[in-house]
Amino acid sequence: MAKVAWNDMVAFEKVLVEDYRLFEGLDLVPLETYEGMDTRPAWEFKAPMATGFYKPYLIKGSDKIEKITIGELHYMGRAKYCALNMTVSDAYDLPIFACEFDETAPRVGITTDFMPTVDMAQHGEYRERYYKNLAGLWRKYRTIPGFVREGRCLVQRRYGPWPWARETLSPFSLDGRVEEREDRQTVVEAVVSYAREWLDLLKKAEPIKDPAYKQEMLRRKRAMQKYYRELDPGGEVMKKIFGEGKHHLFVSLVF
Amino acid sequence: MGEGTRWTPYLEKMGELIGQLKPAALAAWEGQDLTVLQDIKGSQITGGCRAYHAEKIEKIGLGSLAPGDNARYGFCTIVPGEKYDLPLFLSRWEEREQEITILVDIMPTVDSLVDEAYRKKYIESVQPLWDRFASLPGICPEESDVIRSLCSIIYTAARIPIEKEGMRLAALAPHTEYLKSYLAFIPDALPVEGDAKRNEIEKKKKALRKTLRTDFFKEIMPDSVRQSLGQKHLDLMSTVFF
Repeated sequence: MAKVAWNDMVAFEKVLVEDYRLFEGLDLVPLETYEGMDTRPAWEFKAPMATGFYKPYLIKGSDKIEKITIGELHYMGRAKYCALNMTVSDAYDLPIFACEFDETAPRVGITTDFMPTVDMAQHGEYRERYYKNLAGLWRKYRTIPGFVREGRCLVQRRYGPWPWARETLSPFSLDGRVEEREDRQTVVEAVVSYAREWLDLLKKAEPIKDPAYKQEMLRRKRAMQKYYRELDPGGEVMKKIFGEGKHHLFVSLVF
Repeated sequence: MGEGTRWTPYLEKMGELIGQLKPAALAAWEGQDLTVLQDIKGSQITGGCRAYHAEKIEKIGLGSLAPGDNARYGFCTIVPGEKYDLPLFLSRWEEREQEITILVDIMPTVDSLVDEAYRKKYIESVQPLWDRFASLPGICPEESDVIRSLCSIIYTAARIPIEKEGMRLAALAPHTEYLKSYLAFIPDALPVEGDAKRNEIEKKKKALRKTLRTDFFKEIMPDSVRQSLGQKHLDLMSTVFF
């Protein structure tokens, strides 16, 4: 196991935005108000135990985006809790792109996925529409050491203790704990590949036409957001850092 | 299979447990004669599949196939009666000399992300088994994207290497244990109350069965085995099991 020093840890935002140019060609504009909350306190913060940022954006001229949030929480010079969330507005049924990238000296804990906003078992066409290309990426990256150990695939195991969280995952989530330095780089590549596929789907996305389907989709989307905002163990950490109540802005931007 | 190696008694063990439901054999379903499948004797494939009915249960499918001397397939499914919110039970067994491939699941008949009460009752209650079998050698995701997209959060799938003969029974344990859990749900199952919930369950169940009927055998059996069976038998198998 190779321990990675603080200064050598992945600079999540810089790597995605500057090195991989993930959002090239998209005009991202800051989202100043989200669900009635002023988001600016999250753009850059300094608390006794943590520093960092959660920057929410919209895409200029597009009605398709609810938020694109990229964030890093640096905890006591020991851990970086990074996130990329891309959620479409309520008129669209695109899955929620979610990535948690938590790095410490011994490992990266990673979950990245297109979380389905409808029950895929009931809507086979949803899988066809949004996961056809992702299936190939899933097969490419699922063998990263740490996702598979001693022949045991850890897919869906990192969220093991939280059934509600496993329910939100698609059958194509990448999920595990990765140790070696070069494998951490491959994980970043996987996150970028997933994100690019999602951005491609966004371009083609059409508004929902069926009101009953939309209602069903919104019921599930709201349930997912409620779960992550209220029950995610990361929310407890944010409560300690930002204080009860104030943490709501941060958890709402992350999910 | 090599000399001294015996096939695992999948069919017998699952059949013993299914026997607790006092099942009654079904000779026909939706106008189709199912007895044709009871004794399959082809030049390249043998076996038998039967459908049953039981209280609160619309259909139970149980059967096995032997495409030559090198492999054995086993299947066991339970489709609940339309009045009940019981999940679907699905078990798939594929045994070879060096490896056994399995899938066993209890598939929810609602959106179990949204319906927390359902999830706690039928899915989370089986989580101890999911945790227990997580350490099974060869544990892996179900390979078929279509089938995996139907599975619950507690499905167990594996390609278990048979390094010693005891591993065959270890591979069987998830099937019998999940089935025991499923059977324990049945006595307390009550008819679903409320039109909205009934409609939701009916819709989901219909979608699950449609996909399973269309894709299950196509996804999990190689072309050669399906060709040996022939389309007529394959269609009937989809009727027996789903």
